[in-house]
Amino acid sequence: MMETLLLAIVATPGVTFLALGFCWLAGWTPTERFVSRVTAVAFSLLTAGAAWLAWLMFAAGVVSVRISLGEWFRAGGYHFPLALQVDRLSLPMVAITAVLGGLAGSFSVRYVHRDPGFFRFFLLLNLFAFGAITAFTAGSFDLLIGGWELVGVTSVLLIAFFGDRPAPARNAVRVFASYRIADIGILLASFVLHHGGSTLFTPMLPGDWPGQGSRLAAPDALLAGFLLLTAASGKSAQGPFAGWLPRAMEGPTPSSSIFYGAISIHLGAYLLLRFEPVIQSAPPVAWATVIVGALTALTGTASHRVSSDVKTSLAYASMTQVGVIFVEIGLGYPRLALWHIVGHAVVRTLQLLRAPSMLHDYHKMHAAVGGDLRPTGQWMPAVLPMGPRMWLYRFGLEGGFYDAWLDRLVIAPVLRLARALSGRSKDAPA
Amino acid sequence: MLQLDSLALVSMGSFLLLFAVTVLAAPRRDRTGAARLELAALLAGTLLAYAAAALPVFLAGWALTVWPSWRGQSRGARLVLAASTVLLAGGAALMSHPPVAFVALAAAVLLRKGIFPFHRATLGAFERMPLPAVGLTLNSHLGGYLLIRFVIPRFPALSAEWLPHLSILALVTSVFMALAALGERQPRRLLGLLWISQGSFILAGLATNSQAGITGALMQWWVVAFAMTGMMSVYASLEARTSSVRSPDEFLGLAAHAPRLGVFFTICGLALVGLPGTLGFVAEDLLFHGALEAHPLLGVALPVATALNAISVLRLLATLFMGRRAIHVPPVPDALPRERLALSLAVGLLIFGGLMPALLIALRTPSAEALTKAISGK
Repeated sequence: MMETLLLAIVATPGVTFLALGFCWLAGWTPTERFVSRVTAVAFSLLTAGAAWLAWLMFAAGVVSVRISLGEWFRAGGYHFPLALQVDRLSLPMVAITAVLGGLAGSFSVRYVHRDPGFFRFFLLLNLFAFGAITAFTAGSFDLLIGGWELVGVTSVLLIAFFGDRPAPARNAVRVFASYRIADIGILLASFVLHHGGSTLFTPMLPGDWPGQGSRLAAPDALLAGFLLLTAASGKSAQGPFAGWLPRAMEGPTPSSSIFYGAISIHLGAYLLLRFEPVIQSAPPVAWATVIVGALTALTGTASHRVSSDVKTSLAYASMTQVGVIFVEIGLGYPRLALWHIVGHAVVRTLQLLRAPSMLHDYHKMHAAVGGDLRPTGQWMPAVLPMGPRMWLYRFGLEGGFYDAWLDRLVIAPVLRLARALSGRSKDAPA
Repeated sequence: MLQLDSLALVSMGSFLLLFAVTVLAAPRRDRTGAARLELAALLAGTLLAYAAAALPVFLAGWALTVWPSWRGQSRGARLVLAASTVLLAGGAALMSHPPVAFVALAAAVLLRKGIFPFHRATLGAFERMPLPAVGLTLNSHLGGYLLIRFVIPRFPALSAEWLPHLSILALVTSVFMALAALGERQPRRLLGLLWISQGSFILAGLATNSQAGITGALMQWWVVAFAMTGMMSVYASLEARTSSVRSPDEFLGLAAHAPRLGVFFTICGLALVGLPGTLGFVAEDLLFHGALEAHPLLGVALPVATALNAISVLRLLATLFMGRRAIHVPPVPDALPRERLALSLAVGLLIFGGLMPALLIALRTPSAEALTKAISGK
């Protein structure tokens, strides 16, 4: 029963996406009401399924459900195992995807009402849910990569959602480039994990989360750990990949809430939590996780406090919290990190969904406290002199200079090389 | 003279489907008069080459497919085309001298596949020729077929010794072209660079000496063929509708008027770079894991080149379809019914192969097993 339910949970958004997609390709564009209702039904089923599964697991005293669906394909000695699993780590993630995804979908019915991309938005929302749930319930690293990539692609296509300005398209390309470069880490990690034995989680990470062990040899764990940290940093906008997150705010607000407030932004942290035993078995990786998270959190909070638009400010606030979650994972507190993810996802989704009404909310709060809503950071002048404060302001405003460094040290030389190789110096892209 | 085994039949079947997709989707200007004759020559030549049991017959088919590429090409490109045919003829004539024949045939493969430093002829074809003809000429992958059908089975020891070296050249080409694509703005050249870069993995995969890698190479063959045909067909359709796409210097925003063409382009482009749920993901996964056993360099080069190519694909997609429609770009009609049918066939195959890859892999398994045995000498 639990196995069937798990399969149904994974299949529901995928089937909805395929059905809507084929209708459209066949020449029939469903009405807004039809699309929104189908999506609402899909997410309701998803939520009910996740709740039912949680209840069944609780009632049976089971902490993890694992299904082996055989192999997807085989060639010689290599086969791609199709395995799903849900445990104390993945079930909360599936639940917040179902609940918050449905909530964002319900807000979107009005937000993108009569927009030419209404159908596209809901199509991508279903594909995103399928990708996220596949990644969370994957029982093997290869399948996790599949879900991971789908989340990335839908994220980028939604950033480019509004076609009446060039900026969304430009930023979508930039975000996609960041994702793909970081994803080299996850692909190479797969290479190392195969070398270490198996990419199935059960033999690789024996036991039940959060008390799992690691069967990877020390050198493999060290290498795989650093590669996984690279991939996780890319997906969660940490360290040198932090610059893409504010750019991603070009997308519709409901999709920003579910992607960068709730699910996509935490996918990197989920990856690290899934491989937490591997990270803890390689102390340099654990310390690198702490350092990356702490530096990003400091940068994020500085930028969050000086951003002049609400979505960018919330994006930096998300980055800050995910940085703290990285620190928790690196220090070996996986339960705390999971609670932090769930709490942060719920609060941030609410904040992002309410972002268009921020001024209204602010005035209400201002009135509610009797006109005495003081701004934060008033202690600063007493602690920091003017010079460092101005530098800190500039540091925050420039997003920690990440993009400037990246542009100067990586992108400009690569583009120069690319232009030289293609022999097209004059008409090369900006 | 002719040999209709599983390798030949599967290759012929997939090429016929590719031909149907290409011709159905081709703009009218590329399906009339001399163009029709050229497409017929490409079909006949490719099928003859696939069915050939002897090198002279293969040579006849090869030469027939070279003819349509001859017109309108630069002198350098013609030289490369002629050299590849002469080398193939030389190799066929010198089969009694294995090392010489092997070198001649391998060189013919490198020239035909546009491996660095012979890529300019391929790029020239993309720039100058009608895209349907280019697609059929290149996506027949006769260079790879020559290796599979004649070179590896006839010279297994030499192949085992030298294919890894050729594959390094293919990997260098792949990364080199992927980097060059980042700096390219003209869609036709960009498509050419993507074809060479992703197509190079076929040669690299054949040298992995593992069944997974070789099967991955054969899957990649289909991915490159159908995904590139889809992208090239969409681009050719747009080019026939407006000349603004030839050298865009801003976002053209064509998705507003041609959303279905945009979707077909997106799916084909992302399949080319390994989108999960498409055959590209399967091919990449097999190539990647096949490399574990014999060719770790491929394991590093593949994700790097694919990541760079993915950026180029999205950049081209954004340039053509995203942003606000430029003032000088007229409203273009969306996919016509025949284009929709053709592109649905290509996309359908890529998605079907992504969801149920075992069926397509089974079609290629006998060839992959035979090649693995030949290379490993077991």
